[in-house]
Amino acid sequence: MRRLSILLILVFMLGIFSSGIAAADTLNLSIPLPLTGSQAKFGEMEKKSYEIAAEEINAKGGIKGKKVVLEFEDSQGKPEISRSIAEKLIDVKKQPFIIGDYSSSCSKAIAAVAEERKTPYLVVTGAADDITQQNYKYVFRMNPSSAYYSSGLMSFLSEVVKPKTVAILYESSDFGTSGAKDMENQAAKTGMKVLVNEKYEKGAVDFKPVLSKLKATRPDVIYMVSYVMDAALLMKQIKELRIDAKLFAGGAAGFAIPEFIDNAKDAAEYVVTSTLWSSQVTYPGAKEYAEKYKKMNGDYPSYHGAEAYSALYILKDTLERAKSWSSEDIRTAMKATDMVTAFGPIKFEDKDGYQNQNFMDTLVLQVMNGVHQTIWPKKYATTKYNYPIPKWRDRK
Amino acid sequence: MTSAAIEVFLQTLIAGILLGGLYALIGLGMTLIMGVMKIINLAHGELMMVGMYIAYWMFVLFNIDPYLSVFIATPILFFLGIALQKFLINPVLKVDSILPENQVILTVGIGMVLANLATIFFKSDYRSTPVSYATNAFYLSDYWRDSPIELSLSVPWTVSFVLAVIITISLWFFLARTDTGKSIRATAQDTDAALLMGVNVKLMRVVTFGIGSGLVGAAGCLFLPIYYLFPSLGGQFTLIAFVITILGGLGSTIGAIIGGLILGVFESMTATYVGMGWAPVGRFVIFVVCLIFLPGGVASLLKRKKLGK
Repeated sequence: MRRLSILLILVFMLGIFSSGIAAADTLNLSIPLPLTGSQAKFGEMEKKSYEIAAEEINAKGGIKGKKVVLEFEDSQGKPEISRSIAEKLIDVKKQPFIIGDYSSSCSKAIAAVAEERKTPYLVVTGAADDITQQNYKYVFRMNPSSAYYSSGLMSFLSEVVKPKTVAILYESSDFGTSGAKDMENQAAKTGMKVLVNEKYEKGAVDFKPVLSKLKATRPDVIYMVSYVMDAALLMKQIKELRIDAKLFAGGAAGFAIPEFIDNAKDAAEYVVTSTLWSSQVTYPGAKEYAEKYKKMNGDYPSYHGAEAYSALYILKDTLERAKSWSSEDIRTAMKATDMVTAFGPIKFEDKDGYQNQNFMDTLVLQVMNGVHQTIWPKKYATTKYNYPIPKWRDRK
Repeated sequence: MTSAAIEVFLQTLIAGILLGGLYALIGLGMTLIMGVMKIINLAHGELMMVGMYIAYWMFVLFNIDPYLSVFIATPILFFLGIALQKFLINPVLKVDSILPENQVILTVGIGMVLANLATIFFKSDYRSTPVSYATNAFYLSDYWRDSPIELSLSVPWTVSFVLAVIITISLWFFLARTDTGKSIRATAQDTDAALLMGVNVKLMRVVTFGIGSGLVGAAGCLFLPIYYLFPSLGGQFTLIAFVITILGGLGSTIGAIIGGLILGVFESMTATYVGMGWAPVGRFVIFVVCLIFLPGGVASLLKRKKLGK
């Protein structure tokens, strides 16, 4: 008995000791993500993508010889929790930089803390315009802001569909509001008339009242900015009411992920959506990442996953170029980033009222036979677009 | 009015009535419990969530249609309700505490436990049953070729509505015609008198809680084909049930049915003619107006006109 307990103590001490050694040549990295709550779906996808990237980086010798060890902090999609996580990472864990989180509201909360504590923060998915419009010096964003999400879709509209009128439906969140605002501006610029501009509280059960009002105005294009379940519900009820617009367009997020098709079924057919990335793009590493993700999880990732995966590579690139790993040097190095990731080219620029913002081409997807296909811009297209779309009555 | 305006109005009205019928079923369970036990069951929406998960898994594992799951989820929820009442709420009813409504607070706790258990077991993923008829609908123009207006009636919404009406009618029948039903009504009207008349009040309380839970479980099954499912969905439906209970006049079944319909139609009308973002506001405007001008709810109106009891 006594010998056993001594043995146990020894084993235990060895455990502590070895973990102590390991700590010296590892880079511990905590990433805030919504792992529970209504955005957990995206948080989960990003978590897996970070892990794939970390594994690849470690297999090739880590970052400057240090092994990357990831930890995830659950922000539950609530800005106040994100904020306290950011404070903990900076003040307690002394992490010299922060990356991650999902929604715009959470990213905004972290950005404010990071700027105040002079710690560089890489926004990975938060898309609300104003995150990089506040003259923040320490906040970088790799994804285009939501004003640019629809740039691809806009060129598709003006070159192919040529609509005269548009109806906008959006969720009353940061992301939805800024997406709708952007569409309004674009419509004004291209001379489209906005017939209906309606927001809704997420979790609504019945969209039919607002949809029948929209139907009466006969818009050419219906543009919707929603998360996944609302997106599916909207298209299902549009089918029920047989609203025949020339085009149904979604503003990324809920419309661009496979779950949208799983839930909306045949109502999803022909719906186009702007997106930032698809598993078919030709950026180096994109295909390999998409296949690896599919092998592990059975489904292709959406752009959120590619963003997370590439974020870690941006961080690797930055840390390898930085003179030291102090916040100040990391900021300088990140500002000089100029690389091509699986997600696309990354370069942090100050223009059009944005600071440290990455600008890039966005894509347009269309659902064909239950699969998302890239249809626009032409140089990235995998198949020709389907337009005009058939009326509901004639579909079967 | 032009034909387009009429079309919008009628379509909104249809949507409102269908939604109202389902709301009424959600509200009924809470009203029943309120009437007999004089407490608001704030775990109501979470019980509905449990019902929805039962229907969901029945569909995924055994391919049982959510509508058939009504016959599975309702009994399970009935016994769950009885267990909750017997082992959690009844003991608390006996304890003297500084808070007069500690059972209500207990139901909040039960709701939280249920929601978090669902998160642990089923993760916080959104799920929906991809039933084949999910987007089928009847169209007026299919039956009347050159009708000036087009109206549509969704198949799952209509089926859910009809089932809700059938369940409501059978509940009414149960309360009006059976001995147990009469005892429940007696307990709701005057506990002491019922006790003196030999009604087993304690048993009636337990049974009522069971029936209330069973009803909302059935409502969950009816909601599944038209909506989706996630663990924290309970809160918004507890709120709806609460508004209906107040609107209907605390404890009146007929009041709850009318209250549900009013709420459904009012919400739909707000969404069409004011703005969809305003629908939740409309809900609470009704709530406040009702509290100020009609504190007895619809039931007090009925009483005045000598229509109900």
